[in-house]
Amino acid sequence: MDAIEVNHLHRVYRAVIGVIRRSIKEVVAVGDISFAVGQGELFGLLGPNGAGKTTTVKMLTTLLIPTSGDARVGGFDVVKQANEVRKRIGFIFGGERGLYWRLSGNDNLRYFASLYGVDPDISKKRIPALLEMVGLTGRGNEKVGGYSRGMKQRLHVARTLLHDPDILFLDEPTIGLDPVGAREFRQVILDLQSQKKTILLTTHYMFEADMLCNRIAVINQGGVIALDTPSGLKKHVSDLSVVEVETFGAASEAIEKVRALSFVDSVSIEEHDQRQLLMVQTQRGAEAVPEVLAALDGQRLGRVVVREPTLEDAYVRLVGGNA
Amino acid sequence: MHTLVVNIRLFWQGTLLSYIALFHWLRPVTYTASKILMPLAQMMFFVLLGTYATSASNINFYVIGNAVQITAVSGIFGVTMSIGNDRSMGTLPYLFGTPANRFALFFGRAFMHVIDGALGVVIAFMWGVLLFNLDLSNTDLSALGLTILVTTFSTCALGLLMGCLSLITANVMFINNTVYFLLLIFSGANVALDKFPLWMQTISNLLPLTRGIAASRLLVAGSSLESISPLLWQELLIGVVYGIIGYFMFAAFETVAKRRGTLETV
Repeated sequence: MDAIEVNHLHRVYRAVIGVIRRSIKEVVAVGDISFAVGQGELFGLLGPNGAGKTTTVKMLTTLLIPTSGDARVGGFDVVKQANEVRKRIGFIFGGERGLYWRLSGNDNLRYFASLYGVDPDISKKRIPALLEMVGLTGRGNEKVGGYSRGMKQRLHVARTLLHDPDILFLDEPTIGLDPVGAREFRQVILDLQSQKKTILLTTHYMFEADMLCNRIAVINQGGVIALDTPSGLKKHVSDLSVVEVETFGAASEAIEKVRALSFVDSVSIEEHDQRQLLMVQTQRGAEAVPEVLAALDGQRLGRVVVREPTLEDAYVRLVGGNA
Repeated sequence: MHTLVVNIRLFWQGTLLSYIALFHWLRPVTYTASKILMPLAQMMFFVLLGTYATSASNINFYVIGNAVQITAVSGIFGVTMSIGNDRSMGTLPYLFGTPANRFALFFGRAFMHVIDGALGVVIAFMWGVLLFNLDLSNTDLSALGLTILVTTFSTCALGLLMGCLSLITANVMFINNTVYFLLLIFSGANVALDKFPLWMQTISNLLPLTRGIAASRLLVAGSSLESISPLLWQELLIGVVYGIIGYFMFAAFETVAKRRGTLETV
């Protein structure tokens, strides 16, 4: 039996528009999603903003009722057997919210342990152990309001493990964390996987998905557009190379010129303050460099590198090219 | 048996921790102000206005009415906020993502406010004695204490009902304020019920507080617990009915919020 089975899940939000002349607008958050996650698997859900990742996670964690379709988590239907599902899952949504800031870390955990029906004798032992696991030993008596963002995120992990769930949903858990905090967090995820937990992870960080996930589903516009192992997904761009060009305040017209080159598959841009990193996907490899640089003539340029494609390049190609 | 123990534990732990976690007035200065200064201000306003408009001989009517009505501060604002603040703090999805018994969760949110609200009424009565010469020498104080507790319970039950609305709307403070001031009018705290038109009397009789205030006035005037017990039972019954309606609304609105996707809307 798979830990998570998703069959044609569909979710529509209805938004009321207008004050006097009110009309209802329907927004399809999840069009038609199907996938399955095996026991003990670390499964990634990738997609651009608005693709339906969080909506999917909310439906699987019983926080949102699907418009149609069905899903089973731990063998139980997420709508009809929601309470059975809740006993077996833990979940985290990215960000600082979702904890009682006026309570200490210990009291937050005590309260959630009682919500999950954890025996006090067990929670007395488990809470210090979890705090140690997430690196909050000695900070449990402090009010959560005084915690850093990373500490709050780590307390969320401890909270979600209080009842020792078999299945975890981590929705962008490293968002907003500093590099060191994010690295520590990823280690926690790996530790959880080594404990045979089934984990569904959503993230925007491709290297994170590449590093952690056994399999990845890429969703876009409410549907699964690819589902494979990270190396399998990279094969989507095995014919490509990536020319990385560092620019300083490159004009959008110049970037459009690069995009317009016949041999360019796509161009994505990473912004770093005054600096941009243009990632030009092309089948020509190093031979493309002179023409790319010619298109950027007159712009202030830095280093130029030709490299093999990564999961991010595969993702960019899958979700629609230019980003 | 195990389930019962788990739910009792959830009730008590939820009672105490949610009170500390969600009751934003629980800071020494604001709490003191809400418990000592606010009753004083309300009582001074209505007692002075009432006696000026009618007669100084009616002073006990206004003192007792407003002292008991003070329970609505905890009963309405406190209880509603203890549910509504879960929305603003983003804990609502995590709460509803647990298998916790909703009955224990729901009623646990109100328990501390019953104690807190009763304490507020006691303080208000003390102001009545100290500033407005309220004479309690002829009063069965234990009966008055029981009346305060029952009235606070029924008012908190109305607060729980109001609090359910915060599962589907973010505008619960507007509703709180409206209900608080409606209670000020309809409970008979400041206007004798027989001065109301029939439709207003009907509403008054359907609300908590009304009978509690009437019973308190009778007790201060020297009545026995036995003679006011019908009023107390009715007040208790009203609280139970509001509590049950609130609980079912809580369950229904949880489903509505999950259907609409409004659990996290701030």
